[in-house]
Amino acid sequence: MAVCTGCSLLCDDIEVSIDGRRITKTKNLCRKGFGRYRSLASDRSVPRVDGRQAGIEEAISRAAEMLRNAKRPLLFGWSCSTLEAQRKGIELARRTKAIIDDTSSICQGEIMDMVIRKDIPTCTLDDVRNYGDTLIFWGCDPSSSHPRHMSRFSYFPRGEKLQRGHEEDRTAFLIDIRTSPTAKILAGNFIQISPGGDADLIEAMLAVLDGKIPRVRDKKAMISMMNRLKKADMGVIFPGLGLAYSLKGRMDRMKALVDRLNETTRYNVIPMVGHYNMRGFNQLLFDETGFINRVSFADGVDHGPVYSVVEASKSCDLALVVGSDPISSLPAGIAKALAGVPMITLDPHRTLTTELSRVVIPTALSGIEAGGSALRMDGVRIEFDPIVKSEYPSDEEVLSKILEEI
Amino acid sequence: MKVTIVTFRDIFQSEAQEVDRFGEDYRRMSAVVFLDKSDAAKAGIKDGSNVLVESDNGRVVVVARISEDTHPGLAFMPNSPWSNQLVPAKTDDTRIPSYKSISATISVTDDKIPTVEDLLRELVS
Repeated sequence: MAVCTGCSLLCDDIEVSIDGRRITKTKNLCRKGFGRYRSLASDRSVPRVDGRQAGIEEAISRAAEMLRNAKRPLLFGWSCSTLEAQRKGIELARRTKAIIDDTSSICQGEIMDMVIRKDIPTCTLDDVRNYGDTLIFWGCDPSSSHPRHMSRFSYFPRGEKLQRGHEEDRTAFLIDIRTSPTAKILAGNFIQISPGGDADLIEAMLAVLDGKIPRVRDKKAMISMMNRLKKADMGVIFPGLGLAYSLKGRMDRMKALVDRLNETTRYNVIPMVGHYNMRGFNQLLFDETGFINRVSFADGVDHGPVYSVVEASKSCDLALVVGSDPISSLPAGIAKALAGVPMITLDPHRTLTTELSRVVIPTALSGIEAGGSALRMDGVRIEFDPIVKSEYPSDEEVLSKILEEI
Repeated sequence: MKVTIVTFRDIFQSEAQEVDRFGEDYRRMSAVVFLDKSDAAKAGIKDGSNVLVESDNGRVVVVARISEDTHPGLAFMPNSPWSNQLVPAKTDDTRIPSYKSISATISVTDDKIPTVEDLLRELVS
């Protein structure tokens, strides 16, 4: 069995047939995971130094030299690397007195921070499958973002205590702006809100829990949903990017709702983490520094928004990007600032970021060409071995060599 | 036509991105905006027209598609380098960009849809 690193579900039931170094057949991959496997043969990055093709060793040496000379380096990415590579990355940040940040900084960081600090209760996806009888998908579309979430863990399976499955034993609600593919599956329990309407909805939900009339158009539907939520033996909320962006800076309202629900029953929260090991990086950095992201090692350990990729892109004098494509994923105005900084990029593929990088170091594709371990979106550690031999080094190997040369 | 743009993830686009983010499939599935049927009719925008989407932060040409579902005042774009031309670079205290709530105007255009390479050239210009 192989593990798919296409998303943070880390599906570990992938069957792969191999002929030499070629994958001839796979089973159980979703469309997204199949895309990741197909990418093995497409558009791989090539080693480059200062605009010309070079050997990997030369690219590593040049990267070490640039990092040695940098005054305020930014080390960014990390969500698509193994725990072993991430550990090396944090060590490199310490050694170079760098700012280190990951993709959670522009997505699920605020919610993940609460989960890792144990400010809100959480559970595993296996608990969800076996006991999660009341689910709220909030600002997410698992059918598109985590295609096997509902079938492996959350909605369709017959769990240990939920043998009648979604037909009778399990109820799932979706709160979202868009009539997504998931909204079509959960059509009867789809609560459609306006952009930014999440905070108002939370206040309405809290009002019903306090026995008050909610200030919403469809009061009856709201009261009916809350009655169902109160009856849960084990409820689970899955916040997605829609909620993360809508409630940014006000995540205490989500905590207030979860705390209030937990006064009478049991509710847990599992953020719908996108990249396969974002949670791993957040946990590792937290264990080492007390913060999940946005850390500077320039003078001991410091943390704050000034060390976010959004700010550091404008103030750093060098960026090391590992397994991420910030030139593609940041707002163009911020990407433009980062494009003006010398960049070193480690990536299996050609990306917008590698195209603008001074040094490119091609790496092996985790889960297919490189082994290691990662934390699933629920914090469960999943280990994997490479399934084909690679001509490329792993992130961990490249970072180890850079550390040696520094 | 004034709209609020909300970005989203699409599984087919995600697959295309995994396989080749410089490929035509990825561009076709990314450089697109989904409009409410009545909004599009009022603005004279037909399914498949090229449209110029402009925000305070930037502008980009994409293809218009008419949604099956109604969502007046809202337009949906897959999250991509094309939608990122419109996302404000300025952030609030959280330093989290507003990817899912962008005020924009949309109008029909004869201009071409940029490739990823075009967007990169613009970035370094």
